[in-house]
Amino acid sequence: MRPARLQGAREPRARHATLNEALERAAASGRRGLTFVSADETETALGWAEVLARAARVAGALGDLGVRQGERVALVLPTGPDFMDAFFGALLAGAVPVPLYPPVRLGRLDEYHVTTARMLRLSGAVVLLSDGRVGRLLGEAVRRAGPRLGLWNVAALRESDPSPVTRSADPGALALVQFSSGSTVDPKPVALSHRAVLAQTDALRALMPDDTPEDPQLGVSWLPLYHDMGLIGCLLSAVTYPGPLVLLGPEAFLGRPALWLRALSRHRGTMSVAPSFAYAVCARRVKDEEMEGTDLSRWRLALNGAEQVSIDAARRFSDRFSRWGFRPSALTPVYGLAEAALAVTFAPPRAPLRTVPVDPVALAREGRVLPGARTLVSVGIPVPGVSVEIRSESGAVEPEGIVGRIFARGPSVMEEYLGQPEATRAVLDGGWLDTGDLGFVQDGELVVCGRVKDVVVLRGANHAPQEFEDALDGVSGVRTGCAVALGFVPPGGDGEELLLLVETTSGVRPDLVDRIRAAVAERTGVRPHTVQLLAPGTLPRTSSGKLRRSEALRRWATDALHPPARVTAVRLVGEMLRSALALALARARAHPEPET
Amino acid sequence: MATESQVLEAIRTIARTELEMERAIAPEDDLLRDLALDSLGLTVLAVGLENRFRVKLSEEDATGVQTVADLARHVASRTETVQ
Repeated sequence: MRPARLQGAREPRARHATLNEALERAAASGRRGLTFVSADETETALGWAEVLARAARVAGALGDLGVRQGERVALVLPTGPDFMDAFFGALLAGAVPVPLYPPVRLGRLDEYHVTTARMLRLSGAVVLLSDGRVGRLLGEAVRRAGPRLGLWNVAALRESDPSPVTRSADPGALALVQFSSGSTVDPKPVALSHRAVLAQTDALRALMPDDTPEDPQLGVSWLPLYHDMGLIGCLLSAVTYPGPLVLLGPEAFLGRPALWLRALSRHRGTMSVAPSFAYAVCARRVKDEEMEGTDLSRWRLALNGAEQVSIDAARRFSDRFSRWGFRPSALTPVYGLAEAALAVTFAPPRAPLRTVPVDPVALAREGRVLPGARTLVSVGIPVPGVSVEIRSESGAVEPEGIVGRIFARGPSVMEEYLGQPEATRAVLDGGWLDTGDLGFVQDGELVVCGRVKDVVVLRGANHAPQEFEDALDGVSGVRTGCAVALGFVPPGGDGEELLLLVETTSGVRPDLVDRIRAAVAERTGVRPHTVQLLAPGTLPRTSSGKLRRSEALRRWATDALHPPARVTAVRLVGEMLRSALALALARARAHPEPET
Repeated sequence: MATESQVLEAIRTIARTELEMERAIAPEDDLLRDLALDSLGLTVLAVGLENRFRVKLSEEDATGVQTVADLARHVASRTETVQ
């Protein structure tokens, strides 16, 4: 068997030394820049020259304010010109932008304050930039975190008549900090240098179609700009290309998914990227009349990533929208993570998608890839400059067809988790990044099948399982501290969902599952897909009594979660009498497997 | 201008067609606890109501809006002040 080692094409030559230089070149290129689409489909254009000029003013104001070279500037702004002013303004001031996510409407503000304050502290931000609307909600987070220069309205900075500033940067210096997506319990600030970010956009450029007068390229995105996919994959790709980008806010898409496809048609878009669930949402919610007169035939790259690719969702999308010219070969599964700046692998353009049927039991139990009922999608080969290996627990490279940890190495891998040497050492070794994901190599391509880390990825956002487990505190009928939260992909589903395995106390009332769902939804904003009640002592534990989440998932997937047998002499005798199988089970339970 | 019952009807329509909820929705249902709306669900609901009633809902509107009836009342009162 060949070792599971994949090597991307040669690293392309760097086109720009820094993001600052790339923006100045884009401004000088005369190429079309950004177009913002609002929920009612009115559009506002902002050329690259304008982006630069506005940002230079904000940079001047930041300098006047006292922001020094290399300091972090946090921003909480919706998709729009203000975001560009703050993000590029920070860069041109020689500082480091840290985009954070804005609050959710009708959502829980108290939790938002806590999380935002934590991220401000972790990133070491000296100032927070926002706008008038969102800014009103940030006072509490700013009070808690206490950034040295406080909270500022970016429009006020721009209009304060500062002298424009366009500082240059060192290619090896920190360019931006992005948080490893979403987890509120333990968000990690991923530190990326100019060189790393540009290595990523250069690799992406090599995979994009060439821009010619006959075949002009244009990107469309509704993805949030506070995550790698929207920020680096779309915005910074467009700056460095340089080329036009049409931007919608995530809320506009969620409110009316057809806006995305209509923008692609109207602008003759050739490239766009979204998580798997977005394709499923479009297939279900977009109405025929919303698509009237549209043409998706120019859409060449429909990248699908940020969560496990659902083959069902991809097929439904292709089937539904081929009527309007969508090419099934445009659908391109990709794999990546914030710690690698973004992309690690890309599937080659083709239709249909390459799928791998696997036996979920053999996969979960033995880590072996045998044909079976679950369909996984290949995420292709490493992007240029990147290598991938599948390693065993001991660190040895696995052969093809065996599940192991996915490791990646390349020029866009992060420098560190900012200010967290221990956390950095846990995932980075000799340039190799432990992705925390599980996968295998088959026929020269990577297939992702699970996760080593205890993380639940829901619609592209990472959640620590503790968020959900803690929400069960105080729910009567639940054994305190005896529940695990896990991510799983239900058969025929659109992506990963939340599973709760919960041990109960005696005397359980019939409405317990409903009360658990309600408690979790109220505390975390996530609706559990499945709540499985278990008898006390069923969940696997370490010797110190800690719950073993991945082992619990493995057993649940293989239908092997049973309450421990009460190993009394009478019971053993009874079972032995019943059947040989019962004997084997009784033995296994009397001698639990050693810890892994 | 919209009445609370019109907004309630709109919430039911959005829940059925856009959030794909199968359960019946009562005015006293808690948005988070009973309907178990996550952040995506809340956004879909908020944007859906904004589009239908031409109002702007802010993040602060979460304060004091717990149930379906609260939301209906809130949106209806907003439609009185705009236009």
